[in-house]
Amino acid sequence: MISGKEKIISILAISVLLLGIFSVLYVNATQINKDTITIDGNEYTLNQIFSMCTKCSIVTDEGEKTGIALDDLILKIGINCPACHNYVIKAEDKYQQTVSWDILKTGILTDYGRVYFPDTAHTFWVRNVIEIEVK
Amino acid sequence: MNKMKLFAGILLFGSLWGFSEIFIGSALTEIGLPAGAIMTGFFALTFLVISRMFYKQIGMQLGMGVIAGALRLFNPFAGCHLCSALAIMAEGAIFEIIWYKISFDLTELKTITTRVSMGILTSYVVYVGGFIVTQILTPIISGPGFYIENLISIMPNIFSSGLLPALIGGAVLPATILIKNVDVTIKDRLYYPTTIGVSVLCWCIVVGIWFLMGA
Repeated sequence: MISGKEKIISILAISVLLLGIFSVLYVNATQINKDTITIDGNEYTLNQIFSMCTKCSIVTDEGEKTGIALDDLILKIGINCPACHNYVIKAEDKYQQTVSWDILKTGILTDYGRVYFPDTAHTFWVRNVIEIEVK
Repeated sequence: MNKMKLFAGILLFGSLWGFSEIFIGSALTEIGLPAGAIMTGFFALTFLVISRMFYKQIGMQLGMGVIAGALRLFNPFAGCHLCSALAIMAEGAIFEIIWYKISFDLTELKTITTRVSMGILTSYVVYVGGFIVTQILTPIISGPGFYIENLISIMPNIFSSGLLPALIGGAVLPATILIKNVDVTIKDRLYYPTTIGVSVLCWCIVVGIWFLMGA
């Protein structure tokens, strides 16, 4: 005979499986695939971004990374008072991280759409960036 | 149980867990497999359940998480060291909470259905919980600060990422419970040198490589 505790365990297991399955479907249905990066509401291709800014390299704990400096990018697109804002870096899978100007100005954006910051945890190294929101 | 014996057990299983996270986890990442899901669903669950079955002590798995997480901080290979360390520590704590009401002789887990269900439930909640905890604590501890909207935006990803460890856990837990009746008796004069020796070896290898690689 199945006890109450056994029933609860089975029901909870089915619930988490359903939660996982529906989340997989939702994530796949809402994933955004685009070739541009939205910065402060304007669309830019990676080619445009890389033609605007000078390439530079930073050293991270995973070695040297090359891209364009994020502070240069923000200044080139004409954000007023960059130090007055926070920047939300968003990925195509909805992952996002918020950084201040002090952190942003240390980072780079690579030609494969990933940001690196030399002095932060890797959780801030957002991949497949599709938007930088200026807040 | 003798406190010293328990501490040696925590040190042994925590070190083995951390050691496997570093070497096997890094190798899985290197070959492009979902390391976090496999590590939690297979290795973490196995170490946590085996230690629970043989030591029968509340709090042991929490201690193992702390030891494994601390060792993971010295990971000499690439990756988010702080994120993983925090996730592992949280996983140990979450396992304790889920298994708090399960008796040490596992009488509730008699049928194969319940064992599979418990494996799914434990792996899913441990993995998802660890993921959420690290998303909150990493930005706080590393400095930039935590923003709730960042966590909310990735909740569907976190919930979906728990599916694979849940499926692995559903297969691993029933298999792990099969060794419940194996009689493991080690005399004290062998127990302490073995547990402490293996633990020290794990730490020396990890910290030694970390030091040599200039981390």
